[in-house]
Amino acid sequence: MECREVDDLLGAYLDGELEPAVSTSVRDHVEGCTTCRQRLANLESIGRMVRRAPYYQAPAELRAKVMHARARSAPRHWLGWAAAAVVVASLTGSIVFVRSSTRPHAPDPVDAVAEEVVSAHVRSLMGAHLFDVRSTDQHTVKPWFLGKLDFSPPVADLVQAGFPLTGGRLDYLAGHPVAALVYTRGQHTINVFVWPEASDALRLSDARAIRGFHVRHWVRGGMSYWAVSDVNDADLDEFVHALQQ
Amino acid sequence: MESPKKAMPRSFEDVVLPHLDAAFNYARWLTKNDADAQDVVQDASVRALRFFSSLRDENARAWLFTIVRNTWYGRFPRRTGTAVVNVPDEEAEHRPDVGLDPEAQMIQQQTVEHVRQALDTLPADFREVLVLRELEGLSYKEIAAIVEIPIGTVMSRLARARERLSGVLVPAN
Repeated sequence: MECREVDDLLGAYLDGELEPAVSTSVRDHVEGCTTCRQRLANLESIGRMVRRAPYYQAPAELRAKVMHARARSAPRHWLGWAAAAVVVASLTGSIVFVRSSTRPHAPDPVDAVAEEVVSAHVRSLMGAHLFDVRSTDQHTVKPWFLGKLDFSPPVADLVQAGFPLTGGRLDYLAGHPVAALVYTRGQHTINVFVWPEASDALRLSDARAIRGFHVRHWVRGGMSYWAVSDVNDADLDEFVHALQQ
Repeated sequence: MESPKKAMPRSFEDVVLPHLDAAFNYARWLTKNDADAQDVVQDASVRALRFFSSLRDENARAWLFTIVRNTWYGRFPRRTGTAVVNVPDEEAEHRPDVGLDPEAQMIQQQTVEHVRQALDTLPADFREVLVLRELEGLSYKEIAAIVEIPIGTVMSRLARARERLSGVLVPAN
């Protein structure tokens, strides 16, 4: 092989994309040719540098939007099937009674609330409405709820634990107005929904993952808490632990 | 992020969502800014949802890349400056000195930012093959399918991209 020919193949040789016989020829040439060996070393060096380029991570906001689009696409899917069934029925001239078997059977009430909580979290990230009161000061956030709710949500600043409070808003969940407190961890948003719990049961943290979000639920001191975020499981546990202190 | 164990029906959540970072990374390199990359990936995800049933056993990541790329070119028709047309096919470009070791030269100034800037100065056609090959580790065959060019062209384009890059990373002085 000539240098010129080998030079054209060096990249593919490095990438392991050459036929074995050709690869062997290139290797043999490179072993005996200083110029080509240097070129190969340069190419390897370029590759190592490119692999140090940043790998951009999808922002949480984008992930939330995609999840939301996914959530909205599910019913349309079902409608599509229903429409297809109608077409089939009219083509065959038969009357077909289509029963929806895709509909989930009556969900557990707590599961239903969990779904609502995740939807509220996604909604808060999608629109501009993440905050009614934007403050990192718990002494500003807590009084803001006065007169807007018939309960006073406990508001703690967890900046020491690495979860700064960024604000709060009113939301509507499970049939009543609730307090939503917003905390962050790095680029991630954690929503905590709080409302009074009728039963005085103490429920320890219940963990679940819904549509890629992590959810924690607990009942304490007559209040029902739901924390939801796309932070990882361990961080959310740490958050809950800090909040329960 | 743990995914619930449902093996049989492949769901969008299990198959496509794990590649959202990869899709964003690719779009970010194509568009060179966060806002456009987000728009592209969001549109692409909606398309991916619509076409999800057409995904067979192929590599879901490569499939998503194809959609991201088509979305990008649909949204941002080839602009001057990003088109490969502006690049001479047979390189009359300067070949870096054989004696230079680019890595050695980089040692003082070697930062991620420097590499990023160097990649961003390349035409999009060059940048994308490098990203797909070096950051995503795709084969020439997979790249050929995504970019819709013959495998031979993947090889020559990568070669020219690397050559250009070495020119940018190690400016001849």
